[in-house]
Amino acid sequence: MSVRREKAERLADEELMPLIGEKDPEAFEVFYDRHGGVAYSLAYRIVGERAAAEDVTQEAFISIWRSGARFDRARGSVRSWMLSIVRNRAIDMLRSRAGKAPKLTFDDDAILEQRPAEELTEEEAMRHETATEVRGALGTLPGDQSKVIELAYFGGFSQSEIARMLGVPLGTVKGRMRLGMEKIRGELAEGLA
Amino acid sequence: MTENDHERWSENLAAYMLGALDAAEAAELERHREGCERCQAEIRWLTPALDALPESVERFAPPAELRSRVMSEVRADARQAGADRAAAEGGLWHRAAGWLRGLGSGPMGLRPVVGFAAAVLVVVAVAGYAIGGGIGSSSDGTGAGTVVAGHAPGVTARIVMAGEGGTLHLANVRQLPEERVLEAWVQRRGAVTPVRALFVPDREGRATTTIADMKGVETVMVTTEPPGGSRSPTSAPIVTVPIPQ
Repeated sequence: MSVRREKAERLADEELMPLIGEKDPEAFEVFYDRHGGVAYSLAYRIVGERAAAEDVTQEAFISIWRSGARFDRARGSVRSWMLSIVRNRAIDMLRSRAGKAPKLTFDDDAILEQRPAEELTEEEAMRHETATEVRGALGTLPGDQSKVIELAYFGGFSQSEIARMLGVPLGTVKGRMRLGMEKIRGELAEGLA
Repeated sequence: MTENDHERWSENLAAYMLGALDAAEAAELERHREGCERCQAEIRWLTPALDALPESVERFAPPAELRSRVMSEVRADARQAGADRAAAEGGLWHRAAGWLRGLGSGPMGLRPVVGFAAAVLVVVAVAGYAIGGGIGSSSDGTGAGTVVAGHAPGVTARIVMAGEGGTLHLANVRQLPEERVLEAWVQRRGAVTPVRALFVPDREGRATTTIADMKGVETVMVTTEPPGGSRSPTSAPIVTVPIPQ
């Protein structure tokens, strides 16, 4: 491992971004190794196909490489910013496939065919633990609340579309989204306490 | 702003954060949010819940090939950016880099490697100036002289002039894949033509070819080609040698 790579590995994401903005491939490689797994997993969760998930992940990371300097730390963490880019690209791909229905549950047998992550770094292991906690928090939501959140976030549907799909008034969808998000937030706050 | 204004938008905040408003609604809410501290506070409060959603997905290791593809594109971009910076800084070499870029935009699909080629060009250019002899600066009184020396990663190139021609010596050339040979090219006034003889490296990685006519040559480069050679370059140059005029 080169000294340069070792140095980049010690930097926080926010410190890597200026280097990426200066077109430093070593810094970007560290960034990819840190977040490529969750990015790919999110893309797969949304598009449901391995090849499409790879395309989404590649496009998102190349977009970040080419626009890294545009990251604004005032608007959140680098990881959240990166995941929002992956999510947007994945939703764009979903929408470009006319008639493709999104997956509706958090448990999806199809993804069991995928190879699970083999070696987790300490940081990744902590995130894995967090992910488990978050899934737990989502699992405590009433089904009608988790469904509208999932249709919106992972399916890319608008609240009006969700209301039509579920055959419920728009106000009901708004209320379920709001309540669901507040419950997740409450669970997270409890977990931290 | 009235309390009613806030209540009206507050009920849409979760949908807004989840990307479930249409574009017009989202734009309107964003305008409202700018001046509404309560909305801003609510968004800040709910942000961890939003951030938790992508973190909740089941994790799978991305294929190693994906990393290779991403990093290959990234490194090509970085080389291009470096070459662009260097080309912008150098008058003579800027012209030569443009020639290489022109090659990249042709039908041979060289675009991803242009940055590499241009970067090599600059390295070689610096070495050429450092040597400073130039064509005809004979060191032994025979009319022959070493023009330039440089390297692509690992490869060094040297052209020894003799009369109107020259001999290109390469060192540290990696063994070629099967069914590939080295082909040298010369460029005059923007036109690229092949040097007739094809060649291959020996076991020590040395390769030599003769360029019969060096008159007016601005750049010499070497690519790997299929057996029998090509009419125009089909791969990235492994080395590019600009000839001082």
